[in-house]
Amino acid sequence: MRISNILLMVIFPTTALAEWETNMPRGVTPTSEVAYDLHMLIFYITVVIGILVFSAMLYSIIYHRKSLGHEPAKFHESTKVEIIWTVIPFIILVGMAIPATKALIMMEDTRDSEITVKVTGYQWMWQYEYLEDDVSFFSKIDNESNVARRLGSNVDVKKVKNYLRNVDNAVVLPTNTKVRILLTANDVIHAWWVPELGGKKDAIPGFVNELWVDIKEPGTYRGQCAELCGKDHGFMPIVVHAVSKPEYYKWVGIQKTNKVAKNK
Amino acid sequence: MSTNIDKLHDDHHHTPSGIMRWITTTNHKDIGSMYLWFSLIMFFVGGLMALVIRAELFQPGLQLVVPGFFNQMTTMHALVMIFGAVMPAFVGLANWQLPIMIGAPDMALPRLNNWSFWILPFAFTMMLSTLFFGSGGPAAGWTLYPPLSLQGGDSFPFTILSIHMLGLSSILGAINVIATILNMRAPGMTLMKMPIFVWTWLITAFLLIASMPVLAGAVTMLLTDKFFGTMFFTASGGGDPVMFQHIFWFFGHPEVYILILPAFGIVSTIIPAFSRKRLFGYDSMVYATASIALLSFIVWAHHMFTVGMPLAGEIFFMFTTMLIAIPTGVKVFNWVATMWKGSMTFETPMLFALAFIVLFTIGGFSGLMLAMVPADFQYHDTYFVVAHFHYVLVPGAVFAIMAAVYYWLPKWTGKMYNEGLGKLHFWLTTIFVNLTFFPMHFVGLAGMPRRIPDYAVQFADFNAIASVGAFGFGLSQLLFVYILFNTLKKDVTAEDKVWEGAEGLEWTLPSPPPYHSFEEAPKVD
Amino acid sequence: MSNFKKTYFSLIFFTIFMFSFSYMLVPLYDIFCEITGLNGKTNQTKVIAVNENPVERFVTVKFTSTVANSAPFTFEPIDREMIVQVGKINNTFYTLTNNTKTIKHATASPSVVPHEDAEYFKKIECFCFSQQQINGLETKELPLQFIIDNELPNDTRTLILSYTMFNTTDQLGSN
Repeated sequence: MRISNILLMVIFPTTALAEWETNMPRGVTPTSEVAYDLHMLIFYITVVIGILVFSAMLYSIIYHRKSLGHEPAKFHESTKVEIIWTVIPFIILVGMAIPATKALIMMEDTRDSEITVKVTGYQWMWQYEYLEDDVSFFSKIDNESNVARRLGSNVDVKKVKNYLRNVDNAVVLPTNTKVRILLTANDVIHAWWVPELGGKKDAIPGFVNELWVDIKEPGTYRGQCAELCGKDHGFMPIVVHAVSKPEYYKWVGIQKTNKVAKNK
Repeated sequence: MSTNIDKLHDDHHHTPSGIMRWITTTNHKDIGSMYLWFSLIMFFVGGLMALVIRAELFQPGLQLVVPGFFNQMTTMHALVMIFGAVMPAFVGLANWQLPIMIGAPDMALPRLNNWSFWILPFAFTMMLSTLFFGSGGPAAGWTLYPPLSLQGGDSFPFTILSIHMLGLSSILGAINVIATILNMRAPGMTLMKMPIFVWTWLITAFLLIASMPVLAGAVTMLLTDKFFGTMFFTASGGGDPVMFQHIFWFFGHPEVYILILPAFGIVSTIIPAFSRKRLFGYDSMVYATASIALLSFIVWAHHMFTVGMPLAGEIFFMFTTMLIAIPTGVKVFNWVATMWKGSMTFETPMLFALAFIVLFTIGGFSGLMLAMVPADFQYHDTYFVVAHFHYVLVPGAVFAIMAAVYYWLPKWTGKMYNEGLGKLHFWLTTIFVNLTFFPMHFVGLAGMPRRIPDYAVQFADFNAIASVGAFGFGLSQLLFVYILFNTLKKDVTAEDKVWEGAEGLEWTLPSPPPYHSFEEAPKVD
Repeated sequence: MSNFKKTYFSLIFFTIFMFSFSYMLVPLYDIFCEITGLNGKTNQTKVIAVNENPVERFVTVKFTSTVANSAPFTFEPIDREMIVQVGKINNTFYTLTNNTKTIKHATASPSVVPHEDAEYFKKIECFCFSQQQINGLETKELPLQFIIDNELPNDTRTLILSYTMFNTTDQLGSN
């Protein structure tokens, strides 16, 4: 085997299982899509500006050097030029601000949500309450990940399924339904974030925040706490199962039955 | 720094030698050197902490440290780098350079200058000692958000006290800088004739006086909430944890401009020197710097877009944050226009300055992306933010500091550093800095949050690369230390005007300058 | 006064001013929110004079509760949801149970979403911020009387009121 292969395998032993993902997901909700589209727009604009500026620098570095005998010019100011390169960037920014403002207004509009799920952040797990149906449960990192992640566990984490992104009780939500997510916390500030669902809000003790999702595609979506909340901040994941409306109501029914059975 | 200075020294008052010289000195050159050495040591202390972080993050799973200690490392790494490495380095450069650039004999308040320095080793000894407490050091992030920071153990009051001491040192230093610049310029040096580095430090000093007291207020509120029954940040008492964030970032945003404006001044000095061409748009550069400083007070909530701010607030702060890109862009364009049609050579200071422009601009682009609130909801508290601020701080502020050291070291010591080794240090540093921080954009976008000691397997590859880069970067800085000591061992050979294109009063002095210089004000035309 | 002295005095004054400014931000935070109407907070002081002026408009009000810091309380709204007529006074209550055998003190803090509609949720009688003394294993009823202001924006159809109950037994100033 070639030395380079061996070297690569030694340095990057995770290559077999891991991905080389470089971009954010476009996601499955109107809010995630609008965030992604805005992200790409600004990215492309900055790439173009970067190419223009760095090409000018590169040209200058190559041709305007003493070793080529280039004599230094004497110019050192120009009000006209200063105005141009103030006004043009300003216009570009206005061009960015318009879609950004539209997107933001849409993302912050939680009106007319069909169901409300209240999320409470704890050190170090989540509690979910479905307000309309009076269903409530805790959601913790699943046992396999929790054991594997300990210092000195001697478990190969690459063999753990959805390592650090799996829970014991997942959130179940119906697709094609505007869901309002209420956020609060029990102790310190946490943040609830599932990248593919778009939006992120802090969960603050004593206060409620809200965001909304409308999941267009059924599937399983994984996220994590996104605000430092103490030692196990990295170990309180989020799992959302998005299912059809009938399946969702079936699941709610089962939760309610279990709750009655528990309270007997 | 060398005994040559002592030989030139006028002995109408006895200067102590040995350790007492350094403890009692009121000389701006001595104090500047102390700040710079202190900063270098702290750079390695903070760097070691970074390597603990990157070693743990090299692979998924926990291999080296428990999560609680990891959080102490991320917290202390930031506090040490910001308050112990970058800020003291800029103050050291100010101390050395401001008097000799404006033709003044020393700083306005030389004894206060000494105290401002000596507070630092005491404050950091206190802060770093908390790592050895039973309950460990602070672990709530350098941003100290309550209620989490109020859960801190015995380290909490010591952390607050050391922050107060650091703030005091900065404020006293800033008063000194402003008094010096406003009152001690050589006759003929009007404000719009000052070297641009002096301008950027003047504006930075105002930012320091405006923002550090606000940090002092915020951490005092934390202290009284924990120990004296106040309820600034607890809902049950009518308080609000988010209010801390507002007060903290009202300080915190001007603080990051404090960390970069002197760097802008350094780059604006070095590019013209090695292009053999005057800085393009000097007036514009002054106004742009002042605009950035003013705007920095109305953008703070862009660090808090996910707290549940009213929509109008989110829109306001999005717009002001975008606006601040304009004067920053103007500066970049002016630097390129300075290079344009110049006659450039590429000694080590110039290499660092050019890399600054490219890499800081990349950091600026990710900053502009972060300003867009709907997208920021996906970036906030991820490695995308970590990538952004490390680009503006490492190949930003730190590169400018290194450029300044290479540029002015021959003046301070009279000894030329080894140019070949300097270039090697530059290339190694630049390659490794990009290897370390560029992949962080990717893992952040892919969904990896900040401040976690362990991560899901899909983030592994880029984390491995970043960790390799970090160790390479750290090792390359040992070369920098070697270059420094190697230079100090040499003979004095440097000219007054070390660099062909260098302009300014400091280049009229011998290299090294006498212990007391410009005791009589020079003539400025 | 020499130029130097002028510089020092103004800079020291500026420093002290900025330190006080950070404390001034505390009340300024609330005043700013009140003046601009950017308010996630409901009225802190109870509304004294109430004019009932019911209109033909109904909104849904949901009630929810949180117990902070895993305190040994059970705290629930008696009504999970009410259809409420705008401009009319409404009554409901929350129940608070002390699950321990010893006497405790508890204080609740309110929060309304959407934040920008919080100012229209006017509480006439509520238990917010007032410390409750509750005996061991006792259950108390905490009444809430409120009115939705007619000025509520037309496109708001749902409001959610959340109370967080804190255990303030060990706090300075508790009886």
